[in-house]
Amino acid sequence: MKGSGLGNVPTFKVAVHTTNGRGFTPEELAERCANKIIAISDDANPAIRAQAHAFRGELLKTLVFYIREAVKSDRTTVYNALTDAGQTELAKHIRRL
Amino acid sequence: MAFNGNFMCTSFKKELLYGAHDFDASSGDTFKIALYTNSATLNASTTAYANTNEVSGTNYSAGGQALNPVDPTSSGTTALLDFADETWSNATVTARGALIYNTTPNTTSISLTNPAVIVLDFGGDKTSTAGDFTVVFPTADASNAIIRIA
Repeated sequence: MKGSGLGNVPTFKVAVHTTNGRGFTPEELAERCANKIIAISDDANPAIRAQAHAFRGELLKTLVFYIREAVKSDRTTVYNALTDAGQTELAKHIRRL
Repeated sequence: MAFNGNFMCTSFKKELLYGAHDFDASSGDTFKIALYTNSATLNASTTAYANTNEVSGTNYSAGGQALNPVDPTSSGTTALLDFADETWSNATVTARGALIYNTTPNTTSISLTNPAVIVLDFGGDKTSTAGDFTVVFPTADASNAIIRIA
């Protein structure tokens, strides 16, 4: 069984990403998402590696676009929720973010 | 004291043979991840969750957060398991490592309370200040996944 490996030699590694005074940007999240979807081996055939990098680049652009769309859409939802609650100034502030 | 690497807990390996852990994404057990300071002593001998030297901070609750497992799968002759990345939002916290543990094990054949699964060493203190703290799990393949049976 692996994971920590036989004899407790680590064969996996987690990463920790943190931010200060903000959340993650769409670009940061898209990068992580792309890494989940596609992993490119350094040992792969150069032609296949180039193709994979090109695919990853296009994937990244699509992910960034739709994450931004999701953020904008959620702000619309929050704007309306705040407006309905009578917090119009706060709602305007959210919309301007 | 202090973290000295990633470990799959020895007790967890034994408990697998008792059928104590179910990683099914929809109907399986509840696995949580708790964060610890570098004063914690967590290693392969860790058998269960304890709050000694667990971190504290804004938007961090003792016991940590529930993980979302991905259904076990296989690649070639290797069975593997993944978790969705876990984020503490708008948190002010500093952690050196973590423990993944099972809060709802099957105790039909073995007596257990919050049994430990895996110890994670972040390699250094990681801090978020009024921000997001995210544990990113490795690629879910036969060479890197967090839990593999080869």
